[in-house]
Amino acid sequence: MTAAPTTNPTEPAAPAPAPPERPGWRAVAGRQAAAIGYTVVIGLVLASVLIYSQGYAPFATIQSGLQYAVGDPTQVARTFAWGLPLYVAALGVAIAFRSGMFNIGAEGQMYAGALAAALTGAYLGPLFSPAHLLLCTLAAGLAGGLIAAGLGWLRAAWGVDEVLSTLLSNYIVILFCAYLAIGPLRDTTRQSGTTKEVADTARFGELVPRSGLTTAVFVVVVVAIVIWWLSERSVLGYRWRMTGESPAFASSVGIDVFKARVSSMALSGFVCGVAGSLLVTASQGRFWTEIASGIGWDGVLIALVARSRPVATVIWVSVYCVMRSAARGIEQASEVPSELSLVLISAIIIAAAAQARVFHQFAQLRHRLGSLRRS
Amino acid sequence: MDWLDAFLGSGMRFTTPILLAALGCLVTSWTRDLNVGLEGAMIFGAFFGVAFGLELGSGLGAIVVTLLAAAVAGLLFGILITTYRVNVFVAGIVLNVFGAGATVFLLRSIYGVKGALADDGIPRLARIEIPVIGDIPVLGGLVSGHTVLTYLAWVLVGVTVWAVRNSVVVRHLKAAGEHPEALETAGGNVQRMRILAQVWCFMLCALAGAQMSIGQLSLFTEGMTSGLGFVAVAAAIFSRGNVLWLAAISTVFGLSSAAGVQINEEVMPPQFAQMIPYVVALVGLVVLARTSKVDQVRIATPQLQAD
Repeated sequence: MTAAPTTNPTEPAAPAPAPPERPGWRAVAGRQAAAIGYTVVIGLVLASVLIYSQGYAPFATIQSGLQYAVGDPTQVARTFAWGLPLYVAALGVAIAFRSGMFNIGAEGQMYAGALAAALTGAYLGPLFSPAHLLLCTLAAGLAGGLIAAGLGWLRAAWGVDEVLSTLLSNYIVILFCAYLAIGPLRDTTRQSGTTKEVADTARFGELVPRSGLTTAVFVVVVVAIVIWWLSERSVLGYRWRMTGESPAFASSVGIDVFKARVSSMALSGFVCGVAGSLLVTASQGRFWTEIASGIGWDGVLIALVARSRPVATVIWVSVYCVMRSAARGIEQASEVPSELSLVLISAIIIAAAAQARVFHQFAQLRHRLGSLRRS
Repeated sequence: MDWLDAFLGSGMRFTTPILLAALGCLVTSWTRDLNVGLEGAMIFGAFFGVAFGLELGSGLGAIVVTLLAAAVAGLLFGILITTYRVNVFVAGIVLNVFGAGATVFLLRSIYGVKGALADDGIPRLARIEIPVIGDIPVLGGLVSGHTVLTYLAWVLVGVTVWAVRNSVVVRHLKAAGEHPEALETAGGNVQRMRILAQVWCFMLCALAGAQMSIGQLSLFTEGMTSGLGFVAVAAAIFSRGNVLWLAAISTVFGLSSAAGVQINEEVMPPQFAQMIPYVVALVGLVVLARTSKVDQVRIATPQLQAD
C-alpha cells in the first residue's frame, strides 16, 4: 500500500491536475498493484469477519474454500465452467456502456436467449452438431438482440430512457419466458417450468472430464476477442465511444448517433442472448424458469466496476468466478452460506469505486501526520 | 361488489410500499442523486422488519428499530456518494444486488432456513378498522382496514406537498441539486443536504419493505420485493417532481399490482397478470417521452471514459 498516494503531498487539497503528464509504466503498474492490493485486502478482511462471526476460523476456512475453487486442474475447470456465461454477459453489457447506453436488461435478454436456444435445440434437429450449435447460438443472439435493439431504438428515436426501460423489460421478459415454460412449451414428463431437453447435437462437448468445462470456452474466447477489438481498435467502436462520451460532439463530426445507439444496443443484447444460450448448450441442456439466477445482474455490476473496459471486465469476472466457487467450498466446509460471495463482491465494488478518494484521504492523513512530526 | 371491494383493498395495500419508496426516491431526485437502489433498501426493510419483530415481539417496535437502522444505512450511503464520490447509479445497482444477497445470507446464517421465514412469533401490524366508513361498500375497502403504514404514507403525501410549498428544507434540498454554489454562498451545506436526502429515502424504503413483510403478511421470503422498488423509481421519474402526480401514479401501479394477484387464472395466465405493473410502467415511460416537451429526468449514469 506504500505506493498508493498518487497526489502531490504538498498540495493535498488540489483537484486532479488538469493536463496530466504521461506517467511511466512503473508508476502505472505501481498504482494498479496498489489498487488490486487494496481491494484484495478489503475482501479478505470482510470475508474473515463474516466467517469469524459464524464461529469458524477465518484463515483455515478461506484456505479450504480456495482449495475447492482452484485446488487442482479439475476444480479450476469447474470454477470457470460456471463463469462462461458471465464472461459473455458482462462483455455484452460493457459494449453498450461504452457507447453510453446502459443495458440493465441483461438478465431478461439472457432468459430470452436461453429459451430461444433451448427451443432450437429441442425442436430442430438432431443436426450436424456444429451447425446445430451455431443455429442455437444465433437464435439466442437474435432473441436478445431484438429486445435490446427495440429498447435502443426507443431511446434513439423518442428519447425513452433506456436505463428504466431495460430495467422494466427484465420482469416482462422473464415472466413471458416463465409463461411459455410453464404453459405451452412445458416438458410434460418433467416437473413444471422446464422445456424439452435439447438434442445431444445441440450441446457442447466436455473439454475437461468431469468438470463441466465444455468447448463453449472457445465461444467465450472468440466473443472476448471480438468485443475487445471492436471496442478498442475498430472504427465502429471509436464511433460508439464518441457517442457515449459526447453525443453532441459525435454528431457534429458526422457520426450517426442514432445508428450508433441502436446498433450498440442490438449487439449488446445479441451477446447477452448468446450468454443465455450457453446456460442451455454448455450446461443445463434445457430451459427452466430460474435458469439465469442473477448472472445478468452480476454482469451489469462487473461491467460498471470495470468501467466497461473489455480486459478489466474479463479480469473482474475471473476474480468473481474464483470468489463464488470459493464461497461454495466454504459452504461445504462450514455452515457459512454461499451468498457470502454476493456480499463480498458488493463490498469490493463499492470499495473499488471509492478507491480514488480513499487513497486521496490516506495521502492527506500521511501528509498531516508528517507535518505534525516535523513541527 | 365483493370483488371490487377486495380489489380496491388489495390495491391500496400494494400502493403503500410503492408510494412510500417513490416519496423517498423523489427527495433524492431533488438533490440530483436519484437512488436506483430502492429495491435493495426495501428488501432490507422487509427482512429487518421480520427479524426485529421476532426479537421484540411487537410490530411497531420492529418498525421503530428498522427505521433507526435504515437511517444509519442511509447515512453511510450518503457519505459514500458524497465524501467518497462513488457514483450514485453504481452504488444503487450494487445496493440491489447486495440487498438480494445479504438478506439471503442473514436468513440462512441466523435462522438456518432457505427460501422463507415464517414463524408464529412474527408480529403483524394491526389493521385499523374505521367504524361506519368501513361498512360502506367500495369506500370501505379503500379507506378502512389498512395498517398504520398505509395511513402514514398518505399523511406523508400531504406533508410533502406542504413542505414543497413552504419549507426551507425542501428549498435547500432542491438548491443542493440545481444550484449547489448558490446554496454554499447562502450558507447552506450541500453535502449535508445530499446525505439527508438519502437518509430520508432509506427510511421510507425501510417502511415500504416492512409493510410488505409484517404489514401485508407476517413472513419474509427471498426476493419478496420482486421489482416493486423499480416500479417506485419509475413512479418517481414519471411524476416529474409533482407530489400529487406521484401519488396518483403510485396508485395506478398499486392497482395494477393488485390486478396481477386478483385476476383469475381462467382470465389470463398468472405470468401475464403479474406483468401488468411493469407493462404499465413501460408504456407510461414511452408516453411520457413522446408527450414531454422539457428534458426528462435522466438517471445519473456514470461517465465511463478513461480517467
